[in-house]
Amino acid sequence: MTPTKEPPTPNSGTALTTLRELPQNVWNSIFRNPLPSTDLERSSTSFTNFFLHIHPVKVNKNTLRPAYTMGLGLMATFLFVILVVTGVLLMFYYVPSTTQAYDRMLDLRGTVAFGIFLRNMHRWSAHAMVAIVFLHMCRVFFTGAYKRPREFNWVLGVLLLLVTLFLSFTGYLLPWDQLAFWAITVGTSIAGYAPVIGQQMKFVLLGDTTVGQEALLRFYVLHVAVLPAVLVLLVAIHFWRIRKDGGLSRPAVPTAPAPDSGVVKLKKVYGLQGFVRGPFTKLGNVPDDSVYSWPNLLMAELFVFVLTISAILVISLLFNAPLEQPVNVMHPPNPAKAPWYFLGLQEMVSYSAFWGGIGIPGLMVAMLFLVPYIDRTTHGVGKWFAKERLLANTIFLAVVIVNVIFIAIGTFFRGPNWSLVWPF
Amino acid sequence: MMVAPKSHDKEAAILDAQMPRRRLLAWLSGFGLFASALLAVVSDWLFFKPRVTYGPNARFAIGKPEDFPPGTRIAREVERVCIVREGNKIAAISTTCTHLGCIVAIADTGFACPCHGSHYDQDGSVTGGPAPKPLPWFQVTLAPNGDVVIDKNASVDPGTYLTV
Repeated sequence: MTPTKEPPTPNSGTALTTLRELPQNVWNSIFRNPLPSTDLERSSTSFTNFFLHIHPVKVNKNTLRPAYTMGLGLMATFLFVILVVTGVLLMFYYVPSTTQAYDRMLDLRGTVAFGIFLRNMHRWSAHAMVAIVFLHMCRVFFTGAYKRPREFNWVLGVLLLLVTLFLSFTGYLLPWDQLAFWAITVGTSIAGYAPVIGQQMKFVLLGDTTVGQEALLRFYVLHVAVLPAVLVLLVAIHFWRIRKDGGLSRPAVPTAPAPDSGVVKLKKVYGLQGFVRGPFTKLGNVPDDSVYSWPNLLMAELFVFVLTISAILVISLLFNAPLEQPVNVMHPPNPAKAPWYFLGLQEMVSYSAFWGGIGIPGLMVAMLFLVPYIDRTTHGVGKWFAKERLLANTIFLAVVIVNVIFIAIGTFFRGPNWSLVWPF
Repeated sequence: MMVAPKSHDKEAAILDAQMPRRRLLAWLSGFGLFASALLAVVSDWLFFKPRVTYGPNARFAIGKPEDFPPGTRIAREVERVCIVREGNKIAAISTTCTHLGCIVAIADTGFACPCHGSHYDQDGSVTGGPAPKPLPWFQVTLAPNGDVVIDKNASVDPGTYLTV
């Protein structure tokens, strides 16, 4: 496919020519494709480059509209990359021990070069990832993108949200400060309310009856090895399915040819995918609304990446990740609050531990998993707040708003002994 | 279109009839795989459930009865119990909130939890907040050497005192 030059015959040049051609030969051996200048070469980038072969050759224009996806899924991915890089660096200085962990936090602040900055980046990226993954889910819902044939990818997405939350939760304990200890004490107690296996589950999660050394070690292993591996696997399937499910969702296009498309009408052409999914006659039948991934998709991705990393860098320069007093197992802070994304849960838990901590959240997660199997209609896909989806969107928006209100109450309006306070 | 699958089914049926052994082996393999997976889950659970915990001992001595004069009501923070002595009776009440595991503080009215606002009276009965159960009372015994021993693994009915 790629234009290849005549391979030089052995002994065709002197040692000098070999030397002169060395850089070019090394370059050519690494990159099979020249920088694309023709459509053929643009297609080839997707086939010949390991890092680019995740891309389709061409991508629908709708996929590239910033107002459609807002780049949220990609942002979450890039945040995860930042988290892996900063996380691995932090691992070089961290010890998951109740006697050392907090001192290591102070060392990061005081002695490790860029230590405080790396911790800031890791902390703020973690918060951002939870928020962005959630917003990505909202985007997918409000554009009806979970409908057939993308049902299972929605399910994978819900799993990814849960793994993200669990990753954040396990990381929360590691600094071993007051905030960490009591948030995990409260969080694991909520798990203890699960019917039948709750107490057993809590015991296995903590490795003991209370939060201590065993819990710190377990959370550490889950946080740095088990959960990231699970997340990477799920993300891989999530991405693979985007392609296999026909790319990102978009409005249905009329199948009739545009009147003056000026395309030569062909009889019937089978795309390669036709052999897998049955014949479809796309070429020459619809106006071509796709562009080459190189450079259009690549540039869009690069833009989102630069945006994400710049935001995290700026926030990490301006704000330091909180670190409270070292753990004192005898004196819970008053009030003892969970991380903000669990404060809605904690607020509900203050009414009823079972219903707030297990019952209602369990129902909400179950409903999320079942959404694409309950809503079987096919209209309103690929458009924000489509009129045809008024009911579904209203219900979802209501649930989102109720959750945000509960989080806001838990964050700003709760003081000592969880009494209502006025923050202003 | 209908002929092909039918004849295929027939062939398969004949094959099955001829080779019940192959079918049996397939079933046995499937069952074996399933059983192994089940066994793996069980053994994983056993692995992750510790047999020995490294936390503080659940049964511990707190000293002689004389160390707790009548009217004493003190919280032992490490062990998370409140030692109560009224007259010549001693009891131990848990200070771990039954709601979500925070440590309750001794208040004028009994106990109060700082995390979600649960309140208990002097005997540990719930008087307010989200706590679902009263604070448990632990068994208090006298060791042969005269030490007061508390066993957090053994709960007793509220109001059960050790007379010393």
